[in-house]
Amino acid sequence: MTFFSEERAAELREVFFESSQEILQGLNECGLALEKHADDPAILRRVRRALHTLKGDAAACGYLDMSKLAHDLEDAFSAELPAGKTGALAELVLTAADTFHAMLSAYRENILPPPSEAVRACLQQYLGQHPGQHPAQHSAPHSAQHPGGGPSTLPPAEHSASRGAQFGWSEYEQMMIEEAVARGEAVYNVALEIVPDSPLRAAALQLVRNVLHACGSILALRPDDNVVVEDVKVIEAAVASSRSRDWIEQKCAIPSVVSAILIEKIEDSEMKIVESGQAHLVPQAVPPSSVAALHTVENSLRVDTARIDAVMNLVGELIIGKSALQQIVSEFEKRLPRDPLRSRFVDALAFQSRVLGDLQKSVMKIRMVPVEQLFRRFPRVVRDVAKSCGKDVALTVSGQQTDLDKSILDALAEPMAHLVRNAVGHGIEPSEERIAAGKPARGMVRLKAYHQGNQVVIEVGDDGRGIDSASLLSKAIERGIITREEAARLSPAESLNLVFQPGLSTASQVTEISGRGVGMDVVRTALEHMKGSVRIESKPGVGTTFLLMVPLTLASIQALLFRAGDQLYAVPLTMVLEITRATEDEIHRVDNREVLRLRDQVLTVVRLDRLARTRPVAVARRLYVVVVAVADRKFALLVDRMVGEEELVMKSLDGCLFDAEMVSGASILGDGTVVLILNLPAVTARLGKAQPLEATA
Amino acid sequence: MDQYVPLIRKKDKQPIRFLVVDDSIFARKNLTKMIDVFGGELAGEAGDGCTAITEYNRTLPDIVLMDITMPQMEGIEAVERIVRQHADARIIMVSSVGYQENILAALQKGAKHFVQKPVRPDVLYEIIRYVLGDDAEAAPAVTTLAGEARL
Repeated sequence: MTFFSEERAAELREVFFESSQEILQGLNECGLALEKHADDPAILRRVRRALHTLKGDAAACGYLDMSKLAHDLEDAFSAELPAGKTGALAELVLTAADTFHAMLSAYRENILPPPSEAVRACLQQYLGQHPGQHPAQHSAPHSAQHPGGGPSTLPPAEHSASRGAQFGWSEYEQMMIEEAVARGEAVYNVALEIVPDSPLRAAALQLVRNVLHACGSILALRPDDNVVVEDVKVIEAAVASSRSRDWIEQKCAIPSVVSAILIEKIEDSEMKIVESGQAHLVPQAVPPSSVAALHTVENSLRVDTARIDAVMNLVGELIIGKSALQQIVSEFEKRLPRDPLRSRFVDALAFQSRVLGDLQKSVMKIRMVPVEQLFRRFPRVVRDVAKSCGKDVALTVSGQQTDLDKSILDALAEPMAHLVRNAVGHGIEPSEERIAAGKPARGMVRLKAYHQGNQVVIEVGDDGRGIDSASLLSKAIERGIITREEAARLSPAESLNLVFQPGLSTASQVTEISGRGVGMDVVRTALEHMKGSVRIESKPGVGTTFLLMVPLTLASIQALLFRAGDQLYAVPLTMVLEITRATEDEIHRVDNREVLRLRDQVLTVVRLDRLARTRPVAVARRLYVVVVAVADRKFALLVDRMVGEEELVMKSLDGCLFDAEMVSGASILGDGTVVLILNLPAVTARLGKAQPLEATA
Repeated sequence: MDQYVPLIRKKDKQPIRFLVVDDSIFARKNLTKMIDVFGGELAGEAGDGCTAITEYNRTLPDIVLMDITMPQMEGIEAVERIVRQHADARIIMVSSVGYQENILAALQKGAKHFVQKPVRPDVLYEIIRYVLGDDAEAAPAVTTLAGEARL
């Protein structure tokens, strides 16, 4: 008899993969901390705990290789650490984290895990440092076999209860148990398996609770009230009781509710094991359903993002519905301004839209995660890159608490890793060069996140040599990306932006870490994909900072709506600098490019009517001009008519109605009109280019 | 057909006495039949919660089989009132799956167990035995109990 079906097991594996990622992250952090404080017992304890958890969880999912490795490592760390012999520890932890990571990826793909020789070698080397340490010697106390496993008198089916049970009580609960034992009370760990197909599960759980209460005082109970009853397979409790064990067993054998029982008395000696802080007591045990796994993440719940997206989508539909209602109401107001129903209509609508707004915000908040989740990866990246190119680099991080949409955060990981690797690999000079330049020997990489209006800015900065724009320009000319004449006209900021051109790298040598000529353009593409942008600030000799600007969320945008030609378009409000008017005569041609002079600035003109090849925007009339900023440049969009400002819920566009590159999405207005949201970087790149004369005639 | 060892009270070796509460006559009949098969004795019947309370007070049964949804007074309230007066009352809720919430409430009010409709005699027998616990024992085998629960 097994506790878990195949489907259940797959679900558990998912939980395992996710939770292990966090554990590995923790291991990485421990490894880095150990480099600084090699024999900090607190860190070592963390490592041990992490390894222990991995061991148990991996075994539960049937990943025996991984479990074995974790087990051996745990033994190594459980040994008394000789003073001064801890140098190899950090390396061992980091290598182990890498190996586990590789194994996890392999398991996820259902392929054989890679060999773990590197870490084994590391382990050997480490163990070699203190002769006489034999892993096996320590396995007994630390593998923390759960005592019992059921007395032999139990019928076979009841052994399964012991397999599912782990009695992972929290510290507080342990304290309660210890106290009760100290008072001389008999405390029993009780695990009851609920009949798997019981249709009245909630009632069954209630009954079990009743019975447990009748047995004595409950010191600890798992799961507690606020879990989904359908997920509960095993109930675990610690009960202090004056009754005999047999009596409790008889009471707990509730017909048609409980299918297996495990009862064991907690003795003083066992408390020691519980006390040692081992969260999972039975290595080969299946974690008792994901419910218990959830317990470790206190008060938080893992939810598939798809489910949140579904809710988000529905909220979007509601918002569309709301604007439809709003239109009807304003129509109503026009037609029947004196109708007493009118004001009630308006009130009801106002109320509804306020609630809707709150709902939308709450749903958005679900998707928000602190940037810290992303920043946490980089200490390791910086360390590895710095080590491999023999540099001394420190990382400072600020604004970790800034919240960002999870999908954006995930999408930022790659570009940021690239920027950080670049900063360490190329930005920061070797120590000698830095000292010669009068800078501190240790280089500095800064990660910073903060809000700016409706956007979040993430800065990746270094205090290295900066970007040499002269050599960048000459390389760009050499590769034929720009002509010499064009180069002469570029502003300093524009020439810096050349690093985003595909195939351009100023790295003098291609290393393993960075400088393969791909990358920066990928960074920009990634940012544009999430409707963000990237900017560079660089001073030769002082350093380079990349500013990644991303929207708070991808689900909806505040947009400016306007008409050009016969089409209704929208652009993100965050990109709009100002709206102004101009006449056709104010547009001049310079170098085959149409420009508009606005106060003391010269803006490149973008004619949106060219997009859809519709009727041109009327000539010589006064035109509306929407000034937008794309990267560092400003463009003047010529439009026919302003429509307004509205919150748009993005709907992805998969038809081939329109040039997909030019449009980043579409939305539906309340009246059913479709509005296209322009992908400004692409639009300005194409339409802002020099145009042959006849095109504008 | 299942054979059930008749249960008797430990203290006076008398048959177990049941109060059957259900607004459906058929359901009462059905349960009564099962009680008969188990060797129990029908102490009383009630078709609603109010009657259930007066019947309980009159007959002081060993076990109550209580339906959840009834006119006059629902099963839950009847459970609450009976348990308030007789803390040791052994009440088993009888209900269909759809009323899980009510069963839950009844258990919180002090019901001892529940059984799902349609009632399977073997399940009910086990539950009765469990609820009686040490207060009941198997009757010495003298009677030949022929009987069949027709469901």
